Amino acid sequence: MIDAVGLTKAFNGRAAIEEVSFAVREGEFVAVLGPSGAGKTTLFRCMTGLAVPDRGTVRIGDDDIAALRGRARRRVAVVFQQFNLVSRLSAFENVLAGRLGHVPAWRGWLRRFERADRLLALECLDRVGLLGQAMQRADTLSGGQQQRVAIARAMAQRPSLIVADEPVASLDPAAGAGVLELLQGIARADRVGVVCSLHQVQLARAYADRIVGLSRGRVVIDAPVQRFDQPAFERLYGATASLSTH
Amino acid sequence: MSRAEQALADLEATRRGFTAERVRFWIICAVVLAFYAVSWDLAGVDLHKLATGLPKLGHWLASAWPPKLDEVPLFALRIAETVAMAAIGTTLATLLAIPMAIVASRNITPLPGLYFPARWFLNALRGIDSFVFALLFVAAVGLGPFAGVLGIALHTWGSAAKLFADHVENANLGPFEAVRTTGAGRFTAIAYALVPDILPVMLSTTLFWWEFNIRASTVLGVVGAGGIGQELKNSMDLLDFPRLFTIIAMILIVVTLLDQLSSWLRKRLIRP
Repeated sequence: MIDAVGLTKAFNGRAAIEEVSFAVREGEFVAVLGPSGAGKTTLFRCMTGLAVPDRGTVRIGDDDIAALRGRARRRVAVVFQQFNLVSRLSAFENVLAGRLGHVPAWRGWLRRFERADRLLALECLDRVGLLGQAMQRADTLSGGQQQRVAIARAMAQRPSLIVADEPVASLDPAAGAGVLELLQGIARADRVGVVCSLHQVQLARAYADRIVGLSRGRVVIDAPVQRFDQPAFERLYGATASLSTH
Repeated sequence: MSRAEQALADLEATRRGFTAERVRFWIICAVVLAFYAVSWDLAGVDLHKLATGLPKLGHWLASAWPPKLDEVPLFALRIAETVAMAAIGTTLATLLAIPMAIVASRNITPLPGLYFPARWFLNALRGIDSFVFALLFVAAVGLGPFAGVLGIALHTWGSAAKLFADHVENANLGPFEAVRTTGAGRFTAIAYALVPDILPVMLSTTLFWWEFNIRASTVLGVVGAGGIGQELKNSMDLLDFPRLFTIIAMILIVVTLLDQLSSWLRKRLIRP
């Protein structure tokens, strides 16, 4: 259970997010929608411990995410828009990076992992359908494949929460749908909370359990996906936009 | 056996035993080790000499106090000479480097036939240190800072032009092509589309070279090419340590101040 309560963060006196509160249950896929500049990135940086909110907390179980240090950070896995794989390492070694918060530091320096870790990494690669490409260098993979490797890395981390920041913004529609299907499957099968920001409303409606709408730094919608209707859409993107064309 | 287990077993099988890859790895290790062994020998590394020499250095350092301040005005003049040499030499080099950089940039050169000769020429200039050039020019134009200026200018010409050319080759040519399609000539297009893009980088590199050349030209005086180096060498020859350390301290102060100034200017250039 992940609980964001009263998150507020300002830059140069201007609030990027204000009093943002919502919860993610185990196994739940929450999509965060909102126009550009609504504060999604700031919210995600607070949820991953990359930024400290001015006020409010994000709690994971009994712990404050901002206070997680060192290996405790493995409990929150991040999937980035630009994948952020180590391009000169193989897909397999990139997934093994997900184990770095679990193994002694010297194993990371030498890139020597125990059999159990290597097996887990290959299982994660198998789950994203890339077992055959395990030994291929990351930069030789397509964008969709790279994002799958990044998801396998997140899975190998065995996190309680996966935070995905616009994971499909750099992908073509088919690859993007595949990635979201994977995230949805992981949430359901592993009972992991998934928070995922998206730009396409129809993707959120197809894959998410719940939609949190962010506008001008505030939560304007927090509803199960079935109740995300035209009025909700207008509240989020303005009255001139129409849900049916999305 | 799951698919992942199968894959792991396959992976481990390929890594066991005498593979060509392993043999190659160990051969490379042996070659690198031999290289360092030979280098260690040739470089005459002698830790015993270092151990006996260090106390001597400490003794000199102790005898350097109090510093000799009566000659500070002379040192200041010589350091000013060094800074001036670096400034004139670097500026001359930059002006010469701009046309060379255009010729030596594969993507915009008007004379493709001269591309490789230009690159070789620049590499030759770059390969010979300003110190060596200064040595030659002292023989040609006589003792004094002018020989140092020429030495700095020639070496920096090669280095700066190569750097500028690399910048131009990596620059985004889209705007350049767009301006060409309006009917502008090659040099108009360079001035209009490329220069605004790379000018801040060029100016900032020039400042960097100036800074670098100030440091480098403190030693040019050793070969008689002007600047503070001459006084440095005299002090060392006379084993006059208070004088020597006064000079070194002054060089440190000036170089640090100019480094600060230059990096402040460079930040201001790059930002807008």
